[in-house]
This record gives sequence, structure tokens and C-alpha cells, in this order.
Amino acid sequence: MATLAERRSLEPWQDPKAAPYLRIDRVTKKFGDVYAVDDVSLNIFQGEFFSLLGSSGCGKSTLLRLLAGLESPSSGRIFIDGVDVTAVPAYSRPVNMMFQSYALFPHMSVEQNIAFGLQQERLPSRERAERVAEMLNLLKISELRKRRPDQLSGGQRQRVALARSLAKHPKLLLLDEPLGALDKRLRENTQFELVNLQERLGITFVTVTHDQEEAMTMSTRIAVMDAGQIMQIDTPTAIYEFPTCRFVAEFIGSVNLFEGKVVESAGELVTVETQLGRPLQMRSFQPLAIGASVAVAIRPEKMRICSDYREDGVNQVQGVVEDIAYLGDVSIYRIRVADGSLVEMTLTNVQPRTEQALTWDQAVAIEWSPSSGVILTE
Amino acid sequence: MSRSMQDQARSDRRLSRLINIGLPYVWLGLFFLLPFVIVLHISLAESTLAQPPYTALWHWLDRGLLQIEINLGNFLLVFEDDLYAWALWHSLQVAFVSTVLCLLLGYPMAYAIATSASRWRLILLMLIILPFWTSFLIRVYAWIGILQTNGLLNDLLLWLGLIETPLSILHTPTAVYIGVVYSYLPFMILPLYANLTRLDPILLEAAADLGCRPLRAFFRITVPLSLPGILAGSMLVFIPVVGEFVIPDLLGGPESLMLGKLLWTEFFSNTDWPLASALAIVLLGILVVPFVMMQRLQQRLEENRP
Repeated sequence: MATLAERRSLEPWQDPKAAPYLRIDRVTKKFGDVYAVDDVSLNIFQGEFFSLLGSSGCGKSTLLRLLAGLESPSSGRIFIDGVDVTAVPAYSRPVNMMFQSYALFPHMSVEQNIAFGLQQERLPSRERAERVAEMLNLLKISELRKRRPDQLSGGQRQRVALARSLAKHPKLLLLDEPLGALDKRLRENTQFELVNLQERLGITFVTVTHDQEEAMTMSTRIAVMDAGQIMQIDTPTAIYEFPTCRFVAEFIGSVNLFEGKVVESAGELVTVETQLGRPLQMRSFQPLAIGASVAVAIRPEKMRICSDYREDGVNQVQGVVEDIAYLGDVSIYRIRVADGSLVEMTLTNVQPRTEQALTWDQAVAIEWSPSSGVILTE
Repeated sequence: MSRSMQDQARSDRRLSRLINIGLPYVWLGLFFLLPFVIVLHISLAESTLAQPPYTALWHWLDRGLLQIEINLGNFLLVFEDDLYAWALWHSLQVAFVSTVLCLLLGYPMAYAIATSASRWRLILLMLIILPFWTSFLIRVYAWIGILQTNGLLNDLLLWLGLIETPLSILHTPTAVYIGVVYSYLPFMILPLYANLTRLDPILLEAAADLGCRPLRAFFRITVPLSLPGILAGSMLVFIPVVGEFVIPDLLGGPESLMLGKLLWTEFFSNTDWPLASALAIVLLGILVVPFVMMQRLQQRLEENRP
């Protein structure tokens, strides 16, 4: 059983005394009239695997480029290890970046690509050779050392790019869609490898990704971005289970949102009146004013079939099965409910498909517990 | 598909392939190989005062005897007479120096165009190509007006008070270099531009990210990756300048004796077609070797690009 202190050190963002390794302080980047990054503040701690998650054009890549020094902010400051690097050019920053397109030098061999950064440091050639060999071993690409980038497969290029960006032993590594160009199979394997590598080397990783699964699997914390702003920063679990706004709830996974008004607030239990025809009761950790417009967010897998439907039952809804999507391990049911909207429910296929519990056009009652969702105000 | 239709389709394909491959060969045969054979033929003859001004290589004698006379004297003369060796050496020297000057001037220009905003790029390219709309000969003549003792350049320098007496530039090697570099600069810039626009700017960002300063990145990344363009541009300048005739003739002095000028003199003034042809063959031989070598090198460099 870990002590509280130990657990704190694993989650340094919980510790008010911990100094962030990377501090982004009210950074804004404008391209013409467009705010690519809009007043973003963010602290990232030593040893974190931090993901910037968002759809394309949300500003995540621009933020990463600001950290690398490839763009300079319109306003705001960036601190690395307590040093203000806002005005420091890319070639003098103590960070390295793995580019989305890998950006390997086509006229250099794998070995030369990896050695490039070390040459700039004027590392003696013996040490340089050792470091290159270390990187080749670390990423298991020793047999490719003499090849040129165009003689490599996509997966091999990804490894070379990673080796090159790690060769200078940076304390902070920036990764722009590190797995974006790999096929699904390879991506899953590489995810775990990347996490193991990061833990072993103790380097702080900041990655950019549009793939929520990737962010969920690898990250210590995720920042969800939209339109240049950070919508929520939290651990993968908290982002999924306790989204703080409608955008995050809908962006990560699937969610059923029931819009309504708060009618009663008794302790932690809040009653919300919605279009469903009956009040919903949810737990809330924040005090809510009576009459506030809110949304009740329930994940599809938190729903279950209701066996004892009652007219006054809490969080029970009747509907008709309209769509079934069979995914093998689970099936997604879309159920038309009283207010005419569709509610999504996921059930694990415990039985073979032929014996599934629900079928098309079947009347069904579903329910969920008050603690299985959240109330969103934003 | 029936048998006969398949056969038909196959023979159609074969025909189109024959045309595709055959046409360039016919073209090269007619317009390169045939003239070359004619020139080679003349170079092996002797000069006479007749029409045409060279002797026939073969005569039919009685009883099916064929007499062939090959005269290697022209080639011997080309290699033995210092005048030709000197003219050849001078031509290569002028071509080399001009190529280097064009590269030094053209690379920054091509780089600037390739990295300029897209709305400027087309205008700048047009400015490079614009001189081609005027005849080459007229443009070289125009330089006489600029460079001569009471020409525009001297007038300007005198007016500015930079010089007291007019400079004599026209009919000196300097004038030849000015004319050659001016005329051939676009041939250096265009292939370089085409190459530099293909350079992915992300590579320079990657270099910077790995701690490489911009100037060093230029020499480690941009220059090596633009080598194919440098080679193409250099070939386009070097090869025609070796045989250049008009510019040294109009702008150069007596010391600007280049092979092209010599060739012209032998052909038109001395009406020594065989000697002129021998000179042309030697010149061709000297140019083909570096050309093939560079072509090979360029192919290798191209293969390294993604």
C-alpha cells in the first residue's frame, strides 16, 4: 500500500509545492487575425507523459511548435526548468522534437541522421559513435544503420526519427503525432513501447495527437484543446469519467447528453428536469443553483437494461430499439426514447450473437445509477 | 474477349510502344547522329578549292577496287598547333570561371525566389525569363553601348565622380565575362529554382531543432540537397559557353580567342571545312566526357531524394 506522499510524487500536479518542469504562461499565437493558440497556461512536470489532444486546427501543433521554438508567441512566456526560453531560438533550446513527417535528412544514412544533433554539440567522435550505437540498440535498428531514409519502411522511419530526437538525451521531448503515420497494428504495439521507453529514460514527453485512444493509453495527463484554448487538463480517467464541459464529454468517447434544469439540490444529490418526462437524479460534487441550465452526461456503457421498471423509478427511461451495431466484443444499441431523441447503450456480448438480449423494434426500459454520470454546466 | 481481339489489342500495344521508343531514336538519328557523321566525314577529308571545299573520302577504281583516303592531318594540326590548344584551354577557362560566377550570383537569387511569398514568386521568375523575349544577339550588342569608352556605364561613373577618366572595359576579357554571365545566368537560376522549391522546409526546422544554426544548416542540408540543381545549372552554362562565339567576338579583344571564334574563322574566312570539322569533333569529345560523368552523378544524387 503506497503512502500518500508516494502517491503524491506520482501525481506531481497534485502537489502545490512541486515546481513544473515546463511552464506555459498565458501564451497566445496569432496568425493574422486567427488565434491559433489563445491565452493558454499549462504546467507540465518532470517525467510526465503529457498529451495535447484535439481535432485538426485546434492549435495543438502550434502549441508544440511554440515549445520547440519553431514559432514565437504573440504574447506570453514559456519557461523550461525555471528558465525563460521565450526568446531563445530553436537551435539553442534544450528540447528535441519528433516531427509528424519524421523529417529525416534524405541525403544521410540512418547513422548520420542520428549523429546530426550530436555533431552540433561538438561531441568528441568516440562519444558520438557510442551514443549512436546506444540509440540504434535502444530502438533495435542496428541493422539499418547504413540505409538511407528512402530505403526504410514507415515503421522503421518512425524508429529512426525517435532515435534521432532522443540522441541528445533531451530532458523534454516533443512528439507531433508520433504514431500518426503507422497502421493500426503497428500503432498499438508502438504505443506500449513508447510508454516503456519514456518510463525507462525518465524523459518528459509532450505529444500531440488527434487520436483519443492513443492519448488515453499513453498519457499521465491530457489537455483537451478546442479553437486554440484548453478545455480541460486531467488524467485520462478523470477526462473520461468526469468531463467538465460538454465539448470534452462529447470529444472523448460517446456520451448521452440530457439537457435540463436543476429543480432540487439535496446534499450531493441533484434532481434535473429534462425532456424525458421524468426527473433525473445525479450526484454532483459542486453546488448547483436551482433553475441552472445543465446537461446530464451518461456514457453508453454505464446504461443497463432495467428489469423492474416503475412509473416513479429514478433514472429509468422507456424506449424502442432502433439500431444495433454488432462490434464483436460489444454491441451498441440506439434506443428511441420518450422525447424523440436517441439514447446510446453499450452491452458486452456475454452470450453469442444469436442469443442477444435485445432485438430491433423491441420495447425496452433502461436505467443508470446516480453516480455513473456527471452534471455539466458548461 | 475473343482470341482475335486479344491479338489485335496486343499488336496495338506493341505498335504504340514502338512509336514511343522509336520516335526519340529517329529524332536523335536525324538531327544528332546524321549531322555528326557528316561533320566527322568532312573532318577526315582534305581542303580543296572546289565546291564543296573538301575532297571525297573514297573513289571507285577499275575492277571493283575501292580506294579510301582518310586524312588525319586536321586532327594532328589541332593537337600540334599551339594556337588551337591555347584557344581550347582559354575556352575551358572562360567557361569554368563563368560557371562559378553564375553559380555564386545565381544561387542566392534562386534561393530568394524559391523562399519568397508565392505572390512574388511568379513576378520574380518572369523577370528572370523576360530577357529571352529579346534576341540574344541584340542583347549582346546592347552591352557594347553600355561598356564602350563613351558608353552608359562610363557616363554614369563619371557623373557620379567615382572615376576621372573613362574605363576601357569593352574588348577586354572582363567584357567577355560580363556578357557571358549576363547571358547565361537564367540557365543557372531556373534549374536551381526548380530544385530549391522542392526542398521541404521541415528539414531545416529539424536541423534547427537538433541544435544546428541557420548558416550551418544551409551548408549541411540545403546545399547537399540542391546538388542536382547545381549540377544541372552548371552543365547548362558550362557546355554552351565553351563553344560560345558571339560574345567573345562582339565584346572581347584579340586575347579573347575562344574555340568558337576560331572555328568560325576556319570555316568562313579560311574556308577550311575539314579543319573546322576536326575542331568541332575535338570540342564535342571534350564536352561529352564531363557531360556523361555529370549525368551519372546527377542520377545518383536524384536517387537519394525521397
